[in-house]
Amino acid sequence: MDALPGLPTHEKLKQAFRLEAGTVQRYLYFARIADIEGFPDVAQTFRNLAESGICNAQGNLDFLKRVGDPDTDLPIGETDLNLTAAISATILEQTESYPLMAKVAREEGLLDIANWFETMTRTKKVHEQKLKKALAQLAAVRQEEPQ
Amino acid sequence: MSAASTPPASEEAEAPSPARPRTDRYDASSITVLSGLEAVRQNPGMYIGSTDLAGLHHLVYELVDNAIDESQAGYCRRITVTLLADGSCAVEDDGRGIPVDMHPLEGRPACEVVLTKLHAGGKFRRQSYQYTAGLHGVGLSCLNALSEWLVLEVWRDGFHYRQPYAAGRAVGELAKIGPSGRRGTRISFRPDPRIFGAELSFSAPTLVSRLRELSFLNPGLHIRLLDQGSGEEREFQYDSGIAGFLRHLNQDAKVLHPQPLALRLAQPGVDIEVVMQWTAGYGENILSYVNSINTVHGGTHLSGLKNALTRTVNRYASELGILKAENGERISTFDILEGLTAVLSVRMETPSFEGQTKTRVTNPELKTMVDEGVSGALLAALRADSRLAAQVVARALDASRARLAARRASERIRIQSVDTRVSKEVYQRQFGIRSQNWHQSAVWIANQALLAEHVRQLPSGHYPRMLDVCCGSGVVGASFKGRVGTMFGLDLTPEMIALARARLDCLTQGTVYQLPFRDNTFDLVVNREVLHLLPNPERPVAEIFRVLKPGGRFIVGQILPFGPEDAAWMYRVFKKKQPLIFNMFQEDDFRELLLGAGLVDLTMSEYRLWESIDVWIDTHETTNLHRHEIRELFYQAPQEVREVHPFEILPTGEIRDLWRWCVFSARKP
Ligand SMILES: Nc1ncnc2c1ncn2[C@@H]1O[C@H](COP(=O)(O)OP(=O)(O)O)[C@@H](O)[C@H]1O
Ligand SMILES: [Mg+2]
Repeated sequence: MDALPGLPTHEKLKQAFRLEAGTVQRYLYFARIADIEGFPDVAQTFRNLAESGICNAQGNLDFLKRVGDPDTDLPIGETDLNLTAAISATILEQTESYPLMAKVAREEGLLDIANWFETMTRTKKVHEQKLKKALAQLAAVRQEEPQ
Repeated sequence: MSAASTPPASEEAEAPSPARPRTDRYDASSITVLSGLEAVRQNPGMYIGSTDLAGLHHLVYELVDNAIDESQAGYCRRITVTLLADGSCAVEDDGRGIPVDMHPLEGRPACEVVLTKLHAGGKFRRQSYQYTAGLHGVGLSCLNALSEWLVLEVWRDGFHYRQPYAAGRAVGELAKIGPSGRRGTRISFRPDPRIFGAELSFSAPTLVSRLRELSFLNPGLHIRLLDQGSGEEREFQYDSGIAGFLRHLNQDAKVLHPQPLALRLAQPGVDIEVVMQWTAGYGENILSYVNSINTVHGGTHLSGLKNALTRTVNRYASELGILKAENGERISTFDILEGLTAVLSVRMETPSFEGQTKTRVTNPELKTMVDEGVSGALLAALRADSRLAAQVVARALDASRARLAARRASERIRIQSVDTRVSKEVYQRQFGIRSQNWHQSAVWIANQALLAEHVRQLPSGHYPRMLDVCCGSGVVGASFKGRVGTMFGLDLTPEMIALARARLDCLTQGTVYQLPFRDNTFDLVVNREVLHLLPNPERPVAEIFRVLKPGGRFIVGQILPFGPEDAAWMYRVFKKKQPLIFNMFQEDDFRELLLGAGLVDLTMSEYRLWESIDVWIDTHETTNLHRHEIRELFYQAPQEVREVHPFEILPTGEIRDLWRWCVFSARKP
């Protein structure tokens, strides 16, 4: 496993994780439409497959966990590490990813989409605060624990 | 929940840490066995859905459903529901009366058994009842378990009987009060405030709508509601059945065809009835029932109906040659359901439901039965009445074309917005159509208190010339009447300008991106809920700044999210309602927008307004799919959103949203 970081397989695992995570979301979205259209059986199929998709996505994380967070490459595994990785991801998203996306959309004249990305930037700030609070609480609990 | 009902096993709130081993024993004495009724009190949601208003009313419905079952069996003609001043409720019927003789196995009177034992009832075998709402014999025992007190009265076999209960247990023997010639059952109960909270109370209007619906579904049955609090009394009795129900639902609607389509299919053990009528509205209103239970989440019967409608209308349209099925042309389910009001009532012997509150029916055979039955009957009905058929098909095609047009419109505006010019035709078309029922299209438009909030933001002074920009019907500008001199209005849409003529003095058609006025013309400019629709809103704000006199005021109202937590969710809701939205402003964005234009002395006041989204989404701008998706967004709103953004889903399914109106006022230096 130690050889994984930087190898093409590492990239493939990240890619597989994103594929499966994306599949889950698409299927849940499609299921809702099928429900509305009056095809509950199709909706159920989509939901069932989405459930498997969750399992599959996390299967990739089982491997990735040993080398790091797929989004930030920071170490993950235990809750304080996970929180730290999640916090840096939200910072990355609000300072780089979403502002860049908004800029591109604005340049292309897609102003509603630009505003949507900007809304995401704000959301991520709030999420960063909430995660930081959770991390602080975790640290406080750890302090109280007898060593 | 009260301490008394907490089981001993869960008294330890803190999790034991491994460093401090638990001293208490863990053996057979730690294993708690909850009796059936304790289990109900521990986890009421499993039995009545929830312990909020909906759950509270569900208690009454369990009793009413029992009386309805009794009437379906042919023995009950009158039901009376009484709301008493102490928060209790009584339901009385003139049916056979719950049996009072000794139960052979339990050794207790049968009525005590059904009130205290889960899964005790007379509907498991189909001898005493055929089509029933009740099934599992848990309704009464749950109700009893969740009631602080309950009194059962039975009139039967020449006597009047009575037995008191508390929290699910009999607190006295079944007593013979005296001789009586009448027949029936009366159950009085007070919901336990330890379960439901002391502040919840029964709502007569909620009961009215359910009782009215039941009396339509059960023609001939006489239902009365007495509200002792208000002294109000309502009586319901209809002989018109679901056809009458449909007329009632459509009473204010503009219907497309005078005669509703009515279909009835009877098979051994199943009886299906449907009535349908299309209206000029945009919403779809399909109510579905199984044995009088309102299946609010639909189920197989509703899927069958939707399938049948889609299949048949498409088939008929291609038979007529209106639709080229071979080219893949197809009218979608959404387009066919647009504007449809329908009531589907199924009576059957063995319905299966999801959960005790029975909001969705799951019998698979029901889907095929409704689909095939309705398809056949509908096709025959369409072929027999070519005028009706033409109207139905034209309505669906219209919807489908409108949907395509809306999509094209939003695509066009995309392309246009590359050079950030607004496509005038798109706005004119959108708001032109909406002008037809402008004041009915949302509650906020004519809400007096909200308008007054705008006026309150105007410092005292002299304002000879006011401009209401993007004035719509002119209500905002007109609310300043008396405080200002000449009231000017500007709008892009000729239809809106015609509306505004009744309120404002001087109207101009034009765009806010290029105001047809000289610099420094106005003492006051007002505007409400428009800037979010405009790409590059800084430009119109700069224009407003330009036409203001130095020292002049700009007052603008805008709906804003409560915080960043609900902004993305609100963006989705609003964009689905109105595809022309370009900005979901947050409070600081909006401040920046105004200050960035050079305005100063910015103040803001908030006004919160409850709005029923059903009205708001019922316009041509919102496609049928989007309407459904908006409701789903509310049903599935993330916890983060719920924490900051109040909204409520009423037991009737209606969604009421609290809108945070922010009214800003600023001055040109
Ligand atoms: N109003 C009534 N009149 C006559 N019998 C009743 C009435 N209400 C209840 N019962 C009897 O009590 C039984 C238990 O009722 P309930 O607990 O609601 O279960 P279910 O309705 O599912 O059978 C019914 O099956 C019926 O035999
Ligand atoms: Mg019952």
